[in-house]
Amino acid sequence: MRSRPTLLSLLPALLLALLTVGVPGPASAEPSAREVIERTSARVLEILRTPGLALDEKRRRIEQIAYDTFDFDTMSKLVLARGWRDLTPDQQHEFVGQFRTQLALTYGRRIDHYGNEELKVTGERTEPRGDVTVQSRIAGGQYDNTAIDYRLRQADGTWKIIDVIVEGVSLVGSYRSQFQEILDRGGPQKVLALLREKNAEGATVEVAEPPPRKN
Amino acid sequence: MKRGFSRVALLLAGSLALEGALGCASSSGPEIRTRRGTLVHDPLEPMNRGIFWFNDQLDRFLLEPVATGWDWVLPDPAQRGIRRFFINLLSPQFVLNDLLQGKFEGAGLATGRFLVNSTAGVLGFMDPANDWLEWKPQDEDFGQSLGWWGTGAGPYLVLPLLGPSDVRDAVGVAVDGATTPLPWLLPWYATLPMGATAAINTRSLHLEDVREAKASALDYYVFVRNAYLDYRENQVHDGKEPEAAPSREDLYYPDSDAQ
Repeated sequence: MRSRPTLLSLLPALLLALLTVGVPGPASAEPSAREVIERTSARVLEILRTPGLALDEKRRRIEQIAYDTFDFDTMSKLVLARGWRDLTPDQQHEFVGQFRTQLALTYGRRIDHYGNEELKVTGERTEPRGDVTVQSRIAGGQYDNTAIDYRLRQADGTWKIIDVIVEGVSLVGSYRSQFQEILDRGGPQKVLALLREKNAEGATVEVAEPPPRKN
Repeated sequence: MKRGFSRVALLLAGSLALEGALGCASSSGPEIRTRRGTLVHDPLEPMNRGIFWFNDQLDRFLLEPVATGWDWVLPDPAQRGIRRFFINLLSPQFVLNDLLQGKFEGAGLATGRFLVNSTAGVLGFMDPANDWLEWKPQDEDFGQSLGWWGTGAGPYLVLPLLGPSDVRDAVGVAVDGATTPLPWLLPWYATLPMGATAAINTRSLHLEDVREAKASALDYYVFVRNAYLDYRENQVHDGKEPEAAPSREDLYYPDSDAQ
């Protein structure tokens, strides 16, 4: 049965959006933005649907995939916008790590609710300055027919996700508006303190360690 | 009829007075840039936060507990059926606002959906129009019609009981309420429990979602405000992206307009 997407279903849809992507398998040529989304949603669904695989293990594998597929450095700069430059290099480094953990905690919590859905890519669009937005819809499950756009940016030949847009609501935009408010009131220290606190609250759920940086 | 019209007039007058009062303040207060690049202000943020808090308390101590009980008693498929039943009752609103926006195909589709789902769909509890005929539901309301005609959102507002809104949508909700036929056909002691049922049922379908949203948001008020404005703007455009939207790109290149 289909139901209309509502404002209230946005957050789980975002979660699902993050879960249904992953990294493509080894390929001869660098995959296009669309291929990144298509191949990898299949891979994540495969993990979700593996019978007998422990929930923690599913979560760990999907997080590893997410670490390779999302460009957390760029996302961190986008959510802090002009505030990024007010952070010292150390603070910037910590922010990227804390923000990544925050996303993993938020979106790793409910993976047991998903697996009956498919992600159908419906189109793509090249943005004015070279990013590519891959448009898709969820098919099946509680959030059937919800529109999800992935915005990808190419760096060193690889397309990585820099934003997820569910029914017009952007993940980056959502975090940016919240960080903006906190930056205005308390500055970078306040932002980092709040993230640390949030992540400690959610740390009852185990989060996979990000892979060591490659360069 | 007369009762309906006076109600429309009263609500419209009230909303317009509100808009007038806010008009002078509309460019003050925190500035929110939507994903599509529109600027919206929140000049009444302290009051809005107060009402937001009030709504949240009401939710926490009344609506959520009742909805939790509802969720415990009713299986999810039944809840989704009830939800479809209430959405089907909104069909006149969809048709009216499709027509107001010149979307004749949409009006036809909404009419067809209503006829099929009210009969073959057992009073709207099922959605064969979508499942068999691929007639997808399309949500239209007067706030979207106003936006489609070019009315700006105006300042952000939080309404008591109704939650996040803006001046345009406050007018929209008032007109939607006044143009819905059921209150003209049924007495208040029938429509009021129906409204309460719809609210409880909707809330019970989103118990986990709201919990998650609250747990993950750094500032729940700001989270809801941003999501609401983006979501509504997207609805006004039926999910279609504008061809050229340079302002939208600012979000993705924060340094490009730096001094």
